[in-house]
Amino acid sequence: MNATAVETLVPILGSITEVREETHDVRTLRLDLADSEEAESFTWRAGQFVMVSVFGAGESALTITNPPAQKGFIEVTFRQMGTVTSALRRLSEGEPVGLRGPYGNSFPVEEWRGRDIAFVGGGIGMAAVHAPLWDVLGNREAYGEITVMAGAKTVADLVYRNEAGRLRDIPGVRVIQVVDPGGEEPGWDGEVGLIPQVFERMGLSGRDTTVVVCGPPVMLGFMLQATTRMGTPPSQVITTLENRMKCGVGYCGHCNVGEFMVCRDGPVVSGEVISQLPNEF
Amino acid sequence: MEQAGWILDEEQWKAWAGSLPASGCRVIAPARGPRGEAAFTKTDDADQIARGYPGKTQMSPKEFLFPRSETLFEFRLAGNTVTLVRPPRSDNKQVLIGLRPCDAAGLRRLDEVFLQDPADEAYEHRRNQTVVIVEACTEATPSCFCTAVGGSPGGTEGADLHVTRLGGSGRILLRAITQTGSELASAASASWARATEADFAEAGDQAEAVSSSIRRQPLPARTPELLEGSFEAPEWEVVASACIGCGICTYACPSCSCFDIADTGGAACGSRCRSWDSCAFGEFTKHASGHNPRPKQSARYRQRLMHKFAYFPSQHAGQLMCVGCGRCIDLCPAGIDIHQAVLALAGAARAAHRGADEGVPV
Repeated sequence: MNATAVETLVPILGSITEVREETHDVRTLRLDLADSEEAESFTWRAGQFVMVSVFGAGESALTITNPPAQKGFIEVTFRQMGTVTSALRRLSEGEPVGLRGPYGNSFPVEEWRGRDIAFVGGGIGMAAVHAPLWDVLGNREAYGEITVMAGAKTVADLVYRNEAGRLRDIPGVRVIQVVDPGGEEPGWDGEVGLIPQVFERMGLSGRDTTVVVCGPPVMLGFMLQATTRMGTPPSQVITTLENRMKCGVGYCGHCNVGEFMVCRDGPVVSGEVISQLPNEF
Repeated sequence: MEQAGWILDEEQWKAWAGSLPASGCRVIAPARGPRGEAAFTKTDDADQIARGYPGKTQMSPKEFLFPRSETLFEFRLAGNTVTLVRPPRSDNKQVLIGLRPCDAAGLRRLDEVFLQDPADEAYEHRRNQTVVIVEACTEATPSCFCTAVGGSPGGTEGADLHVTRLGGSGRILLRAITQTGSELASAASASWARATEADFAEAGDQAEAVSSSIRRQPLPARTPELLEGSFEAPEWEVVASACIGCGICTYACPSCSCFDIADTGGAACGSRCRSWDSCAFGEFTKHASGHNPRPKQSARYRQRLMHKFAYFPSQHAGQLMCVGCGRCIDLCPAGIDIHQAVLALAGAARAAHRGADEGVPV
């Protein structure tokens, strides 16, 4: 037995070092690796994901939500949904987790230099736009106008709601919060409506704006239609696919769509790539 | 190119093959399974190792490289400290003997999946310990269709050593296909008679005779392209209408490689296993949210065929992820014939193209 080899499907060990409640069912965890050398060498690019282990429950593919400049630890934001995320929610600060990764491709933030960028997240989809947003803002002067549109069913479901103030303080950053009709509260000063409709009437220049959009498949479909009408080339509409995954490295077959293994060839894809894939995501 | 080969009589063959366990090899050979079916089994019995068998085994030999279920690690929690314990790995050489050419070709398809970058270490370790001895087919069964997908009853793909029982004569042609195969035979091969051109020709004729007894139509050369364009074709509903989603086709398949990873045990101790899984199952793609990209059985059946005959070939220089063993045809409780299904889809796609070329509505 080769004890020194790091087996692809065997996680490295870490623990929860901070818990932040985002909404009643969405949480952000800071995770630190147990081994300081492993922590030192753990680097990633915005858009990559990790397989987070809760021992006894299994693994869940979660996008890394903090920007790569924050070395030494990672953050993940998850909604309590299935077996593993429910078990993950039962863990507290100090408790162990396993990590594999980082896996997948990343957002082409270098290619966006000089362009306006709109980051659009529906529900827990905000988690996937968080790392590229803060990666871009870490190099603010290289980019044009930044628009952040965060949507949810209700005001109470808005993920990263308390970040809006910090974002608005950054020059050239506009923040719009949107809730579904009926999801507003007394005194709500954000938008009410469906994200694709609100987005389309904001008057952004379709041609000059790169649109990074993550959310439920239905919302994604309407956003692709909206951006087409706005004149945004499909290559400048970027999203992430969220297919079920088990291995994260292209063996297990679960996330296969056409010639694509989402874990290996994605999860970041442009509208151009999506139009070539069978509709199985 | 000069071929390395020897002619052995049955005694010599049995003396050599039967002695492999004594030389420290773990030998897997065809035997009768618990229900009377032919099954690959670990054995030390020289008779069984040397005997040979008609037809094919019920299940493919893939489990000896990619087990039905294997432990990735065991975990133990004490307080907030986790300990992961990897299962021990055997360093014994493993000899798979009596594989049909389709079986060995199937292992090569698994290699494409598990030996990509990064390689799956558990698979790679077993692969490096394994020597494959293929035995040419002396007959074809009604479900065999290797010749329709580019294979041959005498094929050597994936073989380290290759055996042909020369019809009724009791003479066995043993060929070294790889260096690994030569080395396994090297201790005894000096005492064996060298095979002649006539022996190789006889083996070739024999394979040709078995080939011509397979009456199944070759798939069109452009099958991957034809299928690629047929994703929305109504024929999928027709060919998949009988599918009950049991997944036996994927379990029996020598090249199906999909797996699940699951934890068993509790929070204090347990293990993480990977086990064969099937794209035929509704849960295979179902998100935690309940959203399912392939909600219908026909979509799942389409995925299996598209993966084997369109997606995989497009990424592997046209190589199909089907070796024509026909086990899925033998075992499908609904009577689905994958060869017929692919022909139907390719045929429909070609008719659609032709219609489009001629400007005829299709």
